[in-house]
Amino acid sequence: MPEEAIKITNLKKDFRINESHPGFLGSVRNLFSRKHKIKHALDGISLEIKKGDFVGYVGENGAGKSTTIKILTGILVPTSGEARVNGLVPHENRIKNAKRIGVVFGQRTQLWWDLPVRESFDLLQAIYEAPEPAFQRNLEYLGEVLGLKDLLSVPVRKLSLGQRMRCDIAASLLHEPEILFLDEPTIGLDLLAKDSIRKFLKKINAEKQTTILLTTHDMEDIDYLCERIVILDEGKIIFDGLRDDLKRYYGRTRVVEVEFREENPPLRFENGVQIVREENRKKWISFDREKHNASEVITYIVNHAPVKDIFLHEPRVADIVKTIYEKVS
Amino acid sequence: MKKYLKAASKSFQKQAAYKVEYFVGLLNGLLFIFIFTSLWKAIYARSAPETLKGPFDLESMVTYAVLAMIIKISFSMDDNATSFKMRTGALVMDLIKPVSYYFFYLAESVGYSLFHVFSRGIPLLAFSVLAFHVRFPTEPLNYLLLVLSGTMAYSIFFNINYMAGLLSFWFIETFSFQLMKYGLFTLFAGGILPVDFFPDSIRPLVSLLPFPHIFYTPTAVFMGHSPPGGARLAMLAQFCWAAVLSVLSWLAWKAAMKKLVVQGG
Ligand SMILES: Nc1ncnc2c1ncn2[C@@H]1O[C@H](COP(=O)(O)OP(=O)(O)O)[C@@H](O)[C@H]1O
Ligand SMILES: [Mg+2]
Repeated sequence: MPEEAIKITNLKKDFRINESHPGFLGSVRNLFSRKHKIKHALDGISLEIKKGDFVGYVGENGAGKSTTIKILTGILVPTSGEARVNGLVPHENRIKNAKRIGVVFGQRTQLWWDLPVRESFDLLQAIYEAPEPAFQRNLEYLGEVLGLKDLLSVPVRKLSLGQRMRCDIAASLLHEPEILFLDEPTIGLDLLAKDSIRKFLKKINAEKQTTILLTTHDMEDIDYLCERIVILDEGKIIFDGLRDDLKRYYGRTRVVEVEFREENPPLRFENGVQIVREENRKKWISFDREKHNASEVITYIVNHAPVKDIFLHEPRVADIVKTIYEKVS
Repeated sequence: MKKYLKAASKSFQKQAAYKVEYFVGLLNGLLFIFIFTSLWKAIYARSAPETLKGPFDLESMVTYAVLAMIIKISFSMDDNATSFKMRTGALVMDLIKPVSYYFFYLAESVGYSLFHVFSRGIPLLAFSVLAFHVRFPTEPLNYLLLVLSGTMAYSIFFNINYMAGLLSFWFIETFSFQLMKYGLFTLFAGGILPVDFFPDSIRPLVSLLPFPHIFYTPTAVFMGHSPPGGARLAMLAQFCWAAVLSVLSWLAWKAAMKKLVVQGG
């Protein structure tokens, strides 16, 4: 048995993108010749994920997150390099691999549109050849923690986005997969639904040691859930490490939020201290904590302008990722 | 195996949910049977006796029209499923599941069709027996032949639709292919016109196509009407077509997957 749940070695994936010639003559030319260019969606990534890990896979739109998941689920074949999931090469063993993993793509459903949720689950049990007692136990458990009780008899097409997502997450876990792939599972959800799904994922990872690879561009998800973060940019991994290390090493920026008593306080900042956001009388002032310390900055502010309220913010992963992106590009 | 049986039974169940569609379909079937039986009666009434020395007398012609139409109505599948899933990207959700796309689709289609056999085919048949003097075979063998030939016919029907659907992996717009497919089905499959009525010069050619084995052959062997070359040869040809098309479907899926994985989903 391999130690790693997932092992990716120098993985590359190119897409051929056809470009059409414009105009009427162009469309005639398209019949005979197509210009195309190559898009390097994944540009040589290497990654190891141990059993039981909860990894946040972060990147802007088009960074290559979904492409990675499609390779790991056997839907796409890599251009070069290797990916192994539970020791299997996914695209060579799509069906065998599929039995041992769970997958959620946030924008889609794996349930059957016309069937009530319970019937969909029933069909999934047959598809995954899940033994009856374990399946029922899981259904009961998932139904309880995800609050599905009243949804089971509703046809999938009548569910709201948040309800459907909870059902989809349950569906991906009914067969007790060793690894769970979540591609944007909280996209479009309201805060309450997001929160219940986050709590649930944390629980399942802790209790069942399910390995989870979570793809998202919602940094709040990552902040709350993932101890390890992998940041992807244009098909390359630009950070791979612990969330706390990310904050420690990259989170040099601190932000003070100040509410002044007047509209334009007579303040002048220099040396890396700057106003990053303004909203009426509120201003967000950032500084590098290696160059200045917080009390120094705050003292300067309160000595030079009347202040109503003041907060010191911890660095947020979102801001850190933004600064990392700015450095790379 | 169990998963495919379950898929078939869920698909059967799913159809039962659409009650309005069901009654409209039933009414539609009734209308078509009425139109074609009336049409044949009119044609036979106005034709000179010599021209009627053809393969069917009026009674067997009406029987053919009813039975072929009922088989046609019973054979159903969502033949837009693949191109729809391809276009919307929903295909990914099939591929993450540990099932064969072909067999799962086949199972769903069989469930769909069985629903139509019971919910439309049998009621329409019962109605037609009373209304149009349909002549039923009395030999049990004919019923056995119907099941055999019908199964092979369904395999041909499914494989052709399946491959037509896979064209959407190569072409963004497959509507014109679908149109051509419907044209070929309408003209050659025997749902409306038996192969016997094609002129001598092209009948042998038509018999060589897979299409007549979809509605014509099962109807003919059930009625005890001899297709060109005889029932045995027709069913052998049917078997060969079903086998060849199944293999082609398998190859087409391999090619389609290759196309997908190279191009992306
Ligand atoms: N099927 C495809 N054909 C061509 N290009 C694609 C295809 N799928 C993805 N891409 C391109 O590959 C890059 C990565 O896409 P994706 O993995 O979906 O990004 P993410 O999920 O991080 O937003 C994007 O530039 C996207 O346009
Ligand atoms: Mg994506």
